[in-house]
Amino acid sequence: MEPIVNLFKDGMEELSLLTIYGSVLRIALPVLALFVVFRSARSLLTFRPEPEVWAWLRLATGELLPVTHWENVIGRKKSADIVLDFATVSKNHAVLTRQDDGTWTIRDVGARGKVQVNGKLVGYAPLAYGDTLSLAGLDMVLERVSGEEARLQANARTRAGKGNSPGLTLILLTVFQLLTMLSLCMHMDAEHLPKFLLAFGVLIAVGWALFFGQKLIRRSGFEVETIALFLTTVGLAVTGSKNPDAMEKQLIAMGIGLVIFLVIGFSLRTLERAQKVRYLAAAAGVALLLVNLVFGVEQYGAKNWIYLGGFSFQPSELVKLCFIFAGASTLERIVTRRNMALFILYTGFVGGCLVIMNDFGTAAIFFVCFLVIAYLRSGNFAAIGMILAGVGLAGLLAVRFLPHVVRRFSAWGHIWEVPLDAGFQQTRALMCIASGGLFGLGLGNGWLKYVAASDTDLIFAFVAEEWGLIMAAVMIVALAVLGLFVVRSAKVGRSSFYTIAACAAMSIMMTQAILNVFGTVDFLPLTGVTFPFVSNGGSSMMAAWGLLAFIKACDTRQNASFAVKLSDKGGAAA
Amino acid sequence: MKSIASRSYFAMALSCILLFGLLTFLVRYALYADRWVTFSGSPHVYTREGTLDTGVVKDRSGNTILSTAHGKTYADNALTRSATLHLLGDREGNIPGLVVRTYAQLLVGFDKLNGTSAMEEGGGELDLTISAPVQTIALQALDGRKGTVGVYNYKTGEILCAVSAPTFDPDNVPDIAGDETGQYDGAYVYRFFHTTYTPGSIFKLVTACAALENLPDMESWSFTCTGSTVINGETITCPRAHGELSFREALARSCNCAFGELSCTLGKRTMESVAGRIGVESSLSVDGLRTVPGQFDLSGAGDNDLAWAGIGQYTDLVNPCQYLTYMGAIAAGGAGAQPYLVSRAKCGTTVKYTAEAKQGPRLLSEDAAVALQQMMAYNVETIYGKDYFPDLTICAKSGTAEVGSDSNTATFAGFILDERYPLAFIVVVEEGGAGSSTCAPIAGAVLKGCVNVLDGE
Repeated sequence: MEPIVNLFKDGMEELSLLTIYGSVLRIALPVLALFVVFRSARSLLTFRPEPEVWAWLRLATGELLPVTHWENVIGRKKSADIVLDFATVSKNHAVLTRQDDGTWTIRDVGARGKVQVNGKLVGYAPLAYGDTLSLAGLDMVLERVSGEEARLQANARTRAGKGNSPGLTLILLTVFQLLTMLSLCMHMDAEHLPKFLLAFGVLIAVGWALFFGQKLIRRSGFEVETIALFLTTVGLAVTGSKNPDAMEKQLIAMGIGLVIFLVIGFSLRTLERAQKVRYLAAAAGVALLLVNLVFGVEQYGAKNWIYLGGFSFQPSELVKLCFIFAGASTLERIVTRRNMALFILYTGFVGGCLVIMNDFGTAAIFFVCFLVIAYLRSGNFAAIGMILAGVGLAGLLAVRFLPHVVRRFSAWGHIWEVPLDAGFQQTRALMCIASGGLFGLGLGNGWLKYVAASDTDLIFAFVAEEWGLIMAAVMIVALAVLGLFVVRSAKVGRSSFYTIAACAAMSIMMTQAILNVFGTVDFLPLTGVTFPFVSNGGSSMMAAWGLLAFIKACDTRQNASFAVKLSDKGGAAA
Repeated sequence: MKSIASRSYFAMALSCILLFGLLTFLVRYALYADRWVTFSGSPHVYTREGTLDTGVVKDRSGNTILSTAHGKTYADNALTRSATLHLLGDREGNIPGLVVRTYAQLLVGFDKLNGTSAMEEGGGELDLTISAPVQTIALQALDGRKGTVGVYNYKTGEILCAVSAPTFDPDNVPDIAGDETGQYDGAYVYRFFHTTYTPGSIFKLVTACAALENLPDMESWSFTCTGSTVINGETITCPRAHGELSFREALARSCNCAFGELSCTLGKRTMESVAGRIGVESSLSVDGLRTVPGQFDLSGAGDNDLAWAGIGQYTDLVNPCQYLTYMGAIAAGGAGAQPYLVSRAKCGTTVKYTAEAKQGPRLLSEDAAVALQQMMAYNVETIYGKDYFPDLTICAKSGTAEVGSDSNTATFAGFILDERYPLAFIVVVEEGGAGSSTCAPIAGAVLKGCVNVLDGE
């Protein structure tokens, strides 16, 4: 009997937790991540952009033209939203705008006195259903979309998440989160177990609460949140590996971030509210930066931290949200007031403050975001080129004359020549990425966690070392999917305000990821910016969730987003 | 709205840049990850002290001569430690353990799929072709003199012995920086690979090869040595007048006058081309160790210089390892195997690398090789005596290179002409006096050790 017992014991020892990890978890984690991101991506990138019809324009010939946005350029140009191919009609003739209360206005933008409502010449006027709109003598009548029609339309449109059950994706994510927790528990000291259980428990609960909360208000597009939750999970595990005590702070930051996400999301449902918030936000941005300038404390070379009652905080992160509000604009404003002077001034102020704070990474993010907004608003590459040249020159001067900038750039592209010096972080990062292979050395088993700021600046290498290169790549792809989704959604955007805001938000996220990841692997100088959702950092986490709200607001798939009002009659039947 | 939507593709560029960057990085990973992971200081691979954090190094008989996990642990006895030090490197990094470093990637079991996770399953093992007992025999035979002894199998390429002296016990490091006796001068240099020597008369084998290949009818060639000959107004001398000599006798008696004349007859261009083909000035790569190239530079040389160059003096320099391959080539009929040090690298139970015998380039014609074999065998029979090499067919040539007013480098190079023991050897003793009397006993002891090792396999 005894030999058999011993054999069994030996067998069990062979099957130690570590062995299980080696063979199962190592593969399971990236595979689950791939599934979660793939399912979300498929849903976000392959949906058919089906327009919403908000009203009809009936021509004298009886032809019905659908009005598919809240803001519509009417003109002869092919890129007009309502194309009237008549020689008398201007290229950009008028803008037809739907107000939040469901009424419409018409504005003459390029026709100089060729817009009439019920026979009366107007520059800007409300347009009621049944009114006759006359553009350069071409008559048309605005017709209402009836309640029945709206319902039919909503039912005909494909519901968000159809064919890619978001619930199933979330279940996969939950399994991923549980295995991540298990993996951390196995490799870290036992004293930290309660922290892991609590942190991941809360994270899972928050995810499902968000999911069911949206179910309650009949929203089914959960892919964007799933991706954010996935990235947050990776970030939380990174924090858990490096400094388990910091997980609590990170969770609180995520909680605040979620509140910001929901508040901004709901505020974006109506344009009027968004417009009101706009000025407040712009002012708040200025205030935040001024507070930062006065009370700022230097940390890691940049003076972008303030300390408040024991908490450290980076105001510039929240300024990103303010900046988007300041930059986004409705079509009517864009077409009538081409001037962006105020916004350029605002950008100059923000950039100037950041340079004074010595935070060049964040300044670069704002600059890219500015370029995106400026191009979306003006469509003018020449102007953008001039701005680029100007800032490029300023950048050159900065590099030429500011010694700390020179130092930061000195190792760029030469890290292997100064591996113990200026290239220390990146060479260690590459060594550890290689050590991790495709499947990683196991959560908590990394070495990079002993390098300062590795959980923020070197996050790509951190993840590659502990989870493997596949996971690190999935992390990047997941974020890129959000960016691609925004562009895909732009076609069926309701207002340019949402499209511009979403593009701006995604460009901030992409730029952060580009600077962060490319800095780690020496494609770019290391600037110390965070990777959205993943890098350890409270302010960064809050900002990332805030940015996500703008992306939710451009998701016009049927019943997709809590930040988008269901069209008049309550949307599709459940 | 439509125009805004089309402008939004501009923002899409950012996502594309991010994805493209990722792709570029993945390609770089596929190309360079092995370099990154074994770069010095790589945290999962090296200890804080900079030594590889895994694996053992064994000699050809399976004796562990180095264990690198958690710092370096050398062999048990001081003599073996000293004799193998230059191969393995010291703890301080003054002597780089280049062989281990070259195979570090395999030792840590790195592969691009699994990274370094194989390290947890047991470290690597590097099997050398070196025989630790032979190394100690060679070091003992050098008996405190500076120099190097090398032996390799010219059929397979395995290096059995590559000792360098002076050396020291890495577990008991002497005060080298503060040493004033000079006994540790150049102790960090791996002489077998990283030094060049004035070859002296062993270089006559190069001149002889050139003569055999380029001059007709060397069998009937003869020369009368009067003890000195004047070439271009300057004198070439022999220790004594050798009288009338055949080609074979001229080599056996190492007649400077004869080889000086031969060298001049052959001319600069022929001598340079033969020396170049033999590889005197080339660098060999042996498992991460690159030999220092020798020198055979006749630019600006007068006839007298040319004569001295053909005798292995003038500015001639040879690297011991490289010259050893010339011996191997003669023994193997013109082209020997390329030398190597590492026979196998394992990680855990997986064999990651197995050496294969590789034919080296042809250094001389088969006819010349056979002729040289016979002449070198004759040298041993008639001049050096077979006392040190009982029961072996030894072919050799000695040299006494003048490197200063009263300082000679003793050199001795050759091979065993025997299917069972296809070994070529070279012995260099600095300030060693006369070539054969200093080096032949060393070569004899080392070859006997090698034969024993081969017999035991």
